[in-house]
Formats: sequence, structure tokens, C-alpha cells
Amino acid sequence: MNTQIDSSYRPDALVVGGGIAGLQSALDLADQGLKVLVVERGASIGGHMIALSKVFPTLDCASCITTPKMSAAAHHENIQILTNAEVEAIESRDGLHRVRILRKPTYVNFDKCIGCRLCEYACDTEYRDRFEEGLGAVRAIAVPFTNAIPQKAVLDAEHCLTCGSCARVCPTDAIEFDQKPRTLAIETEAVIVASGFDLNSVTVKPQYNAARSQNVIAPMTLERLLAPHGPYGRVLRPSDGKIPGAIAFVQCAGSRDESIGVPYCSRVCCMYAIKQAMLLAGALPLADITIYYMDIRAFGKGYEQFFQNAKAMGINFVRGKVARIDPIEGGDLRLHVETTEDAENPLEERTHDLVVLAQGMIPGWNPAQTTPVACASDGFVATPRLTAPTATTAPGIFTAGTAAGPKDIVDTIAEAGAAAIAASQYLFQKRETAVAG
Amino acid sequence: MALKTLTAEQRQALAVLRESIGGIGEEKRKAQKELLAARKAIAKLLEAQPATVPQIAEALKMPAHEALWHLTGMRKYGKVTEAGEDGDYPLYALVAEQAQPAAGH
Repeated sequence: MNTQIDSSYRPDALVVGGGIAGLQSALDLADQGLKVLVVERGASIGGHMIALSKVFPTLDCASCITTPKMSAAAHHENIQILTNAEVEAIESRDGLHRVRILRKPTYVNFDKCIGCRLCEYACDTEYRDRFEEGLGAVRAIAVPFTNAIPQKAVLDAEHCLTCGSCARVCPTDAIEFDQKPRTLAIETEAVIVASGFDLNSVTVKPQYNAARSQNVIAPMTLERLLAPHGPYGRVLRPSDGKIPGAIAFVQCAGSRDESIGVPYCSRVCCMYAIKQAMLLAGALPLADITIYYMDIRAFGKGYEQFFQNAKAMGINFVRGKVARIDPIEGGDLRLHVETTEDAENPLEERTHDLVVLAQGMIPGWNPAQTTPVACASDGFVATPRLTAPTATTAPGIFTAGTAAGPKDIVDTIAEAGAAAIAASQYLFQKRETAVAG
Repeated sequence: MALKTLTAEQRQALAVLRESIGGIGEEKRKAQKELLAARKAIAKLLEAQPATVPQIAEALKMPAHEALWHLTGMRKYGKVTEAGEDGDYPLYALVAEQAQPAAGH
């Protein structure tokens, strides 16, 4: 970590995104002695993975395996990390990439902040915490979340009432209310785009009525409900705090669907739904848990066994398609389902008190407008060469993880390592050629 | 907690921030007033006895999801805690204010 980086800093490689793909790429480059700058738009590194409860198919605690990577990157002598920073543009010329980075104000001097959170306790305004998918509360100045790296307070100007309480209690005078956005121009020889994914909205299919019911939730919301330090400290439904007794997973609710512009498979929904169902079965032993699916895609190592284990645990798997979800009295939801279980009577109505929609994975960033990197027709970074899966259309710019298309954590980490090797090989060959020439 | 007085530079910097976010409008002030009033009302209700989210919502004429959200904030910052269950709903109780440690301890 270094907050003193300016335009004179010249890393060997720059990594766009501090999620698990970016961190793994950065570590694999840095361990070869190369200087790496990681640019992360959020207030903490760790990406989506640090917000997960557990991971499939091992059911390892997600933060137990993510925090060591975050910490290793943050403390690596060859890695510098900029959080609250966005890559605005990349210009490539003569084998050099000039990267324009916007550093957003945090209103806290990170060199002075000791992460004591006295400012957070002194602040008396709270708003819906995006890290908790809007279910929890966070104060206008706060350390982003429990295991965030860096453990530094950040002020949200949008919600700040400018009362000054934080500055009155800060023991190190770290609060700087007059910080302004700053632009940096960094030159580097190689770039890895690891900008990750977003999920389409739960309201993308109006027939599922997520806009009318707080009990139709996104899978990331359920991850937070299942996380040990989640917003409620346990699984409750958001409309009224009830312990749910009949939970449904509706698969392919945001992908494999031409009508919403996401025709491809998001590749992780089957497995995380099975994982979440298993975790729910542990957290709520009396609950009925049903997964409505078109087909189960359990293609990875150990995934089929994981699916079979879930069936053996009593999770109900119903093959069919949910046509409509209607909110009914008391916060419950009526699902209109066409199943393949009874050919004579395929249409059924079933009632649940919490529904999880499997959203589609969409790109987290579009580099095509502002960088030499082209995107494919699905919007993800194009990787046109089958024999070089991490090479983009731009020489010296590589990609890893879900920036290049939907994939799970295991594949993301493997690809991040591959991108690091491709980038270092590119760098060393380029330098050898320069010396020979 | 020792409160410091803001320096002239800090007051000036606060004014810069206030200006850059377009001032603190009526809407923001009203929202803050409502937040503090809701928290106070929930704390007062829970002082009498623990309650579930629907019980709090009914007593305070507040949507249940809002009552639950206030409880998440109060729980996170140590004002309320869970105290058993009533049917399908957890009960929430007020956390007693920490007594000042006696002199000499």
C-alpha cells in the first residue's frame, strides 16, 4: 500500500481491478520480481469474493481464503495498490501504455488514519450499506467493512451532514474535508484487465415482480444473509424479519434469455444455488428448500458430487420453469411453475416466503470506448486467440477472470495465473529484443 | 471521549465540502431528523420489553422493513441485541448503557 504514488511512478505492469483475479495476477507477477500497480475502484480490495459466505464445492469460508491473498498483496514489496481509483483511459504507443487514473477523494488522509473507527462511532447519520446489498446500515464515515483492506475510514460525501464530529474525535487529525478528485498518468509496459463482473437487476424480468416484493432477492443478498457478520447476523427475510420456512431458488432468471439480452449461460448460478441451499439447510434445519431449474450444469471438478450431496440432504430439485411470481398477503410469494415432473399436469402454483433469483453475470466495465481493448458481442473483453486465452486484441494488454466472461473462482484463479505468466513473458521478451536490438 | 474544537482550517475545509456537495438541503435534514426520531422511538419501546420486528412496526406505525433496517444499524453499533425468539420472529432487546468504570479500577 502506498498513498504517495504520483505520475513519476513507473510499474512494470498495471492491473485493473483488485478482486481475486487482479490480486492473483499481481501476486504472480510480483513474485517474479516485477513491480505491479493494482487500481481498484472500490474502497477495499477483495472484489465480490470477500462478500461471499462460503465457496463451492469445498464450503470453505470465503473470507478465510480471500483475506490472506488480500493481505499478501497489500504487504508485498513489489505491489502498490490504489483504492478509490478508476482507470479512465489507456493509450498505447510504441510498446508503452499510458494509463489515466482518477483518484476519488476519501476525505481521509490514509497516511494518518490508524483505522480506530472513532470517527465512525461519532458520526450520527446512517444509510443503506451497499456492501450489505442495502440490507444493513453504515455511517457516513466508516471503515468499509469488517475485513476490508485497507482498514481506513472513508467519508461518503453524498450522505455527510458536514457536522464535523468526525474531525473532533480523530486522534491523528486525518480528516481532510477539502480533498478533491485527482488525475494520475502512469506509464507501464503491460496491463492486465481484471475488472470483474456485475449482475443484472432482479427487476430485469417484470413477471418476477422483484420491484413489488422485498422477499424476491438477489443471490449476493443471500450471501450476505448467510455470512457470519452479515446485516442481521442470521437468515431473515427482508420484508419483516421473519425466519423463512419455505425458500425457492429460481434458476436462469437473468441469463440464457434472449428477451433480456443475456443469451449466454452465467456458469456459476447452478453451483452457488446448490451451495446456498446446503448452507440454508444448515442454518434453518426446518425450512423447505426448492431449486427450480432448467438443467443443472455441474461441470467442474467435484461439482457433480456436490450436487448429489445436496439431493441427499433433502434439497428439492424441480425441473421446470417459473413463469410468474406474485406477491401475496403476508409477504409470501406465489410461484406459477411449469414442471416436467407430471406430464399430464405440468402447471402448478406453489407458495414460498423467500425467493432467490439467479441473476445474469454481465461485464463490470466497458474498456472498448477508452482503451485499445475490444469487447466481444456479449460485452466481455474479447479474447480472439484460442491458443492464448488471456491475450486481448491489444498487444501487451491481457485479461483474467470474469472480465473476459462468466466463470467461477477456481477458473478465475487459474486464468489469473496464466495472464500473469503471459504478461511477464511478454515483458521479458520485449526487453531481450530491446537489448539485442 | 475527548472532543476537540475544530481549527479555522478545518472549518474552512468543511465549508468547501458543504459547497461541493451543493449544501445540506431540506430533504437531507428531514431524513436525518426522521432517522434520529425512529431510533429514539425504537429504543424507548425496547426499554419496556424485547419485541419482534412486526411488534415494533405496529407499535410505531412504521413499515416492518424499515423497523428491521433500523435494528440492523442499532445492532451493528451496539444499541440492541437479539434476545430469543417469539414464533417465527427473533426478539430484540436494548443493550444496557455501559456503566462508567469506578475510580481506581
